[in-house]
Amino acid sequence: MNARVHGIVVWCCTGLFLLPIVWMFGTAFKSPNEILNAGASLLPTTLSFDSWLAVWQGSLFTLISNTVLVSLSATVVSVVVAFFAAYGLVRYRFPAKLDYLFLLLVLIIKMMPPIVVAIPLYSLMNQLSLLNSKAGLILAYQVYTLPFCIWMLLGFIRDIPLEIEEAGAMDGAHLFRRLLHIVFPLCAPGLVATSIFAMILGWNEFLFSLLFIHSPDKLTIPLFISNFMTEDGTAWGELMVIGIISSIPMLVLASYMQRYLLRGFSMGLK
Amino acid sequence: MLFENRKQLSTLLLPAIVVLGLLTAYPIISVVYNAFLSVDIGSGQHHFVGMANFAELFDDFFFVTAIQNTLLFTVVASTAQVLLGLVLALLFHRNFPGRRFALPVIIYPMMISTLVCSSIWRSWYHYDFGFLNAAFVSVGLPPQEWLFNPDFALYAIAIVDTWQWTPMAFLIILAGLQSVPKDISDAAMVDGATGWKSTLYITLPLIQKQILLAFLLRSIDTFKLFDKVYVMTGGGPGNATETLSMFVYKYGFRFFDLGMASASSLVMLAISLAMTLIYAKRVMKGGKQ
Repeated sequence: MNARVHGIVVWCCTGLFLLPIVWMFGTAFKSPNEILNAGASLLPTTLSFDSWLAVWQGSLFTLISNTVLVSLSATVVSVVVAFFAAYGLVRYRFPAKLDYLFLLLVLIIKMMPPIVVAIPLYSLMNQLSLLNSKAGLILAYQVYTLPFCIWMLLGFIRDIPLEIEEAGAMDGAHLFRRLLHIVFPLCAPGLVATSIFAMILGWNEFLFSLLFIHSPDKLTIPLFISNFMTEDGTAWGELMVIGIISSIPMLVLASYMQRYLLRGFSMGLK
Repeated sequence: MLFENRKQLSTLLLPAIVVLGLLTAYPIISVVYNAFLSVDIGSGQHHFVGMANFAELFDDFFFVTAIQNTLLFTVVASTAQVLLGLVLALLFHRNFPGRRFALPVIIYPMMISTLVCSSIWRSWYHYDFGFLNAAFVSVGLPPQEWLFNPDFALYAIAIVDTWQWTPMAFLIILAGLQSVPKDISDAAMVDGATGWKSTLYITLPLIQKQILLAFLLRSIDTFKLFDKVYVMTGGGPGNATETLSMFVYKYGFRFFDLGMASASSLVMLAISLAMTLIYAKRVMKGGKQ
């Protein structure tokens, strides 16, 4: 294939592949009437902001703040807990290869279908009176985010040369001072990358919010989209506006995080 | 040199062990326990029934269908994603004008959430107003039922999953291609291997590992299929798109059959465990340093 043909082929594939996203943006700016008569057109004939207005007047801000609050808190908890655990796993000698066993168990948890633990988790939340609460959701999200963060941070901590820390240890730096002054700064880019991926996990999570959240004022964006889809048959304009609002942060991150994407989506495993 | 201090080590690991123990170890143990119980909803009494739940499960038409659907979906979707990801990776491996801009853009589908993804495609599949039927009609093809066709609904969902996750297989395979030393492909070229022949006999064997990893990771993930089915078909038409996750959900949260839900969870856990172990064997070989 000569270079020119190759370029054209790749761009055509890319364009075709992105049609659904183009349609999402187009539909958000179509009038409700045009949506039902649009046929195979991707872009609106006349720009309409009806759908944006409708979403703006809805519960948009509650939704966004709920989703941000829950995913951000879940991320903070996970990253802190995982940072200590990952550091211990990388830098300390374990008896009887227990570190491998621990990592294997964490991997198994990350890979298992979350529905497997949903029922006992539901009764646990019930006993702790955490059903239908954001705190409960933050806790439940640890099932996804904590194993992810442990594995992801493992790779970043491994990349820090041991010699730097050994020097610190010889100077008598205590564990927490060593962590704070040596490991933390060196690992900062890794912590940021890991946090962003954990945020994405929380931002997009559906199953546990479906099971644990009932009141409308506590809905997360994915849960709202699900309710919206089943209740308002073809109000696609509003649906796509919400879709865009929920996707924009991710699409911006996609460009920013490119270097870490592979690591993130395969959990730091190469 | 690794640190030896046991006390420090336990301090470091304790928070993670507590959180994971409470939120995953305890639930898994209780699933295993409940799988061998029969619970009467009315009185709340439960008694040990041994393997009876499993016997009932494998006699249950809905469960057998759910297993078949899930495995079919896993194989079809993962294979499609790896093949398409491979083709895209081969296309992107060579430079072309604007590659720098196309690369971040082509992974957009996996950056938008599953729910957004499902909402787009559910609209596309709409019989009367959907984009796909409009496109079909405009080129003279008959409109299709898509999600309402029991023979096609599962594949329709597989298409959505493939659209969303091909970028991930693509990224893994592209990274593999980029790690192939350039002199190998140069040497092949000198020996007269060009075009698809060089790809088939030289490049592909070299990225075998990445292809396999992509396939395993995607299989583990597609096996969980829940969100898309829940919002696009609810398991229907009939039970054409019933999956194991949906089965556990229905038995646990709609029929409140704790024993059956736990037994089917355990079957899922076993299958997922088998796939994870194959994967772990390949990625956990490296030592500490």
